[in-house]
Amino acid sequence: MTDTKTSETAPKKGKWTRRAFIGAGVVAGGALVIGVAVRPDNPVERLSPMVARGKGEQLINAWVKVDADNIVTAIIPHVEMGQGVFTSLAQMLADELDADWSKVRILEAPADAKYVSHDIGREFLAPNLEVPAILEPTVGGTFLQLATAMNLQITGGSFSVRGTGQRAMRVAGAAAKEMLIAAAAEEWNVPAGELRAENSMILHDKSSKSAPFADFAAAAAEQGLPNKPKLKSPKDYKLMGKAMARHDIPEKSNGTALFGIDADLPGMKYAAVKAAPVVGATVESMNVDTAKSMPGVLQILNMGDFIAVVADGYWQAQQALGTIDAKYSKTEGDTLNQDALFARYASVLDEAGDEGGDVETEQGDVTEAFANAATKVEAEYKVPFLAHATMEPMNCTAWVRDGKCDVWSGHQAPLMARKAAADTLGIDTDDVTYHNAYLGGGFGRRSENDAIIMATRIAKATQYPVKMIWSREEDTMQDHYRPSATSRFQAGLDKDGNAVSWSNIHTHLFDPQEAPTVPYYNIANHKIRKIDVPTHLRFGPWRSVDHSQHGYFIESFVDELAHAAGKDGYAYRRELLAGSKRHLAVLDKAAEMSGWDKPLPEGHGRGIAFVPSFGTIVAEVAEVDMTGAKPKVKKIYVAADPGFAVNPDGFAAQMESSIAYGLTATLYGEISVKNGAVQQSNFHDYPILRINEMPEVEVGIINGDHKRLGGAGEPGLPPLAPAVTNAIFAATGKRVRELPLSKVDFA
Amino acid sequence: MTVLFRAFAPILVVTLAACGSDPAPGPTEQIVVRESGTEAPDSDATSPAAETNDSLIAAGKAAFNTCIACHVVEKGGANRVGPNLYGIVGQAAASVEGFNYSDALTSSGITWTKEELDSYIANPAARVPGTTMMAGAITDTGRREAIIAYIEDASAN
Ligand code: HEC
Repeated sequence: MTDTKTSETAPKKGKWTRRAFIGAGVVAGGALVIGVAVRPDNPVERLSPMVARGKGEQLINAWVKVDADNIVTAIIPHVEMGQGVFTSLAQMLADELDADWSKVRILEAPADAKYVSHDIGREFLAPNLEVPAILEPTVGGTFLQLATAMNLQITGGSFSVRGTGQRAMRVAGAAAKEMLIAAAAEEWNVPAGELRAENSMILHDKSSKSAPFADFAAAAAEQGLPNKPKLKSPKDYKLMGKAMARHDIPEKSNGTALFGIDADLPGMKYAAVKAAPVVGATVESMNVDTAKSMPGVLQILNMGDFIAVVADGYWQAQQALGTIDAKYSKTEGDTLNQDALFARYASVLDEAGDEGGDVETEQGDVTEAFANAATKVEAEYKVPFLAHATMEPMNCTAWVRDGKCDVWSGHQAPLMARKAAADTLGIDTDDVTYHNAYLGGGFGRRSENDAIIMATRIAKATQYPVKMIWSREEDTMQDHYRPSATSRFQAGLDKDGNAVSWSNIHTHLFDPQEAPTVPYYNIANHKIRKIDVPTHLRFGPWRSVDHSQHGYFIESFVDELAHAAGKDGYAYRRELLAGSKRHLAVLDKAAEMSGWDKPLPEGHGRGIAFVPSFGTIVAEVAEVDMTGAKPKVKKIYVAADPGFAVNPDGFAAQMESSIAYGLTATLYGEISVKNGAVQQSNFHDYPILRINEMPEVEVGIINGDHKRLGGAGEPGLPPLAPAVTNAIFAATGKRVRELPLSKVDFA
Repeated sequence: MTVLFRAFAPILVVTLAACGSDPAPGPTEQIVVRESGTEAPDSDATSPAAETNDSLIAAGKAAFNTCIACHVVEKGGANRVGPNLYGIVGQAAASVEGFNYSDALTSSGITWTKEELDSYIANPAARVPGTTMMAGAITDTGRREAIIAYIEDASAN
């Protein structure tokens, strides 16, 4: 369903030269920068002390610049980790500006508080807050303060396009256009209303006059900031909604793209690291006799929680590290085993009974409804810990000298990374320059600061630039994991099979808060509870966060209800969604695309699942072949309503990659602990989906509401696992209540 | 590409407490083997003058550092990236138990005489095309001789 025919040539990314990459990390000067405030009547005096740290800094978001050659640069306050966000955000800005796409350049915003993504703070603090105008001076201002204070220059939560793009990049583009037109109107002495912009030109149709943006850029910067720049309605979109080619394809194809791991500095040395296998333990002693005499070795550091070997080359550092025998302190975590952990979940859930735990949502009276139900259904599901396994292993380069520090990495929240480095050293954030590069995969892993802190500590000890690279083993064993979890359900059906009560209790709730809830299903009584069962392992957000497990739990259980009611999974969900037009349209589209009613060959099965998350409604149908020794996922049909797909090709690509990532977890993903340490270490025991295992994917997009955009990076993932396991049930009658599938015996 | 709601609370705490935050601890143990900027001793250049057998073995032990990341020479010692070299002199190639050899070495038919070892260590890929010993070649004749002497001596223990 992706429209590749309209694909246009990609704009070039503003080139970070090698020098710029290792240099100052600020927007290159020279060009005219049009400052565009997202908050027009900005109480600058009040906010400046909080957010404008440096001399001469003003509280404006400078997101558009125009240079003398009429090149428009969109400055993007998010990071690129393969999700294509640079292109979509530039499309939004350039469309509102009526810029010539072939002359649009893209620059990643520096790690500076001015580029903070304050919408993230807004949504996280008050997700249900409805603000009528796109510009909310008061609300926005408050959140800008908070977000800045929290160092939230974050790329996450499938948020960039629907948040920053919709509320900031479009506004910035529209405002810049109005300012350019106002400047041209003064210069030509005509009413602004007679002017329009097209292809980076200002046109006066009456006199047939035209001139490039560049001619007015300087005067435009002097204009007052428009109070309410007028945004286009969809019929006037020129770039939004089109499959513009991604700007980063050429450099990622020819190998010139620079990732964090490519940082290169004169005199730079390399560090290999090994952390205590049990998180929380410290290195009590290390035998370095062999390592000391190995080629290239410069320093061996016992950092307490980890050992680092610094050498001329990375291979040398890693080899020397491999010869070090270390003894670690005993910790409480040492006794933890995976089976015991699941047993602990079970006993905690048993103890909670019908009333224990923290209530997350409650409606009606589940106890009574369940007691009176004609049919009662109960089930328990389990999922393991999951690692992120980014293609680029964790790494960070740091150089500490003269009370200042430079840090190079690829991080999802550059300002947080900068602050982490500053706090590590006990210096001011102003004394830290953070240089961000492309991320070779993020998925939430690169929102953690552990690698930044480790590299900064090593660099402080050496005083020369050091590039720390984790081995794949460290990457797998020292992750911040998607939690392992157990979830139990009880539901009551009336005599017609309609669900009348829905109770759920599960271990952990991380985020988003709505992940375990099902407000879109018509069930009169529900009660959803959680219980935290802490372990010493570190939890971290993993693509789609809690939706990753709750999507599987909920949609498996709904399928069990359908079966108990003697109904088909698609028809049953239709009833549950009755009255919700947008939801139904998505479900229907997935069913229609898959030919839901058409017979499949013997031993094959179809399964459906439906999960709205991060503002996007998604339904998936999986076709699975169960005739072999293990399940073969043949095809996935995805129907999705993100409100409006700004770049349909990019959106479809995110659905496809969510399926690759989600199928990896469904088939194989399992991190387990033994004696407190993670048992898996590399791709042989933590496999990633192979290309021959990738199902065919068909994506159908519904643009259901152009005013409310949804995310793209994550929502494709949650329905995948249950669509697959429901298909397995359809084919074999075997219900999978524990992932991954590699543990299940289908013989 | 993922949500940071969770990060919210802890970061706020950190931010509010940041004024008094202590820097992270430095190393509890810092072993400086060599300063940056000073060159590593060029071990290839210091070919041992093999006067006595003892000094030859000592030199071989030092030179064996090139191999130690991948090999041990220890009775019953574990295989690493490469097999345990205990007793290798005179042994048939690819015969250490439990090691997953390349087909190339397995089918080489070599018996590890000192001469064969010398030519393999000088250039593994040239002697056995397709071998998976990707690093560790020693160009210096004297050092190869010393290493072989050391392996033989260590195997006698
Ligand atoms: C990078 C790791 C590595 C290094 C360094 C290395 N080797 Fe090897 N070595 C291997 C591997 C792997 C094999 C097995 C090769 C195969 O199966 O083709 C091997 C095989 C051998 C064999 C043949 C063993 C047998 O059972 O047939 C000898 C002898 C040997 N290495 C000697 C040395 C010496 C001496 C050095 C140091 C000068 C050295 N190696 C350095 C990895 C290494």
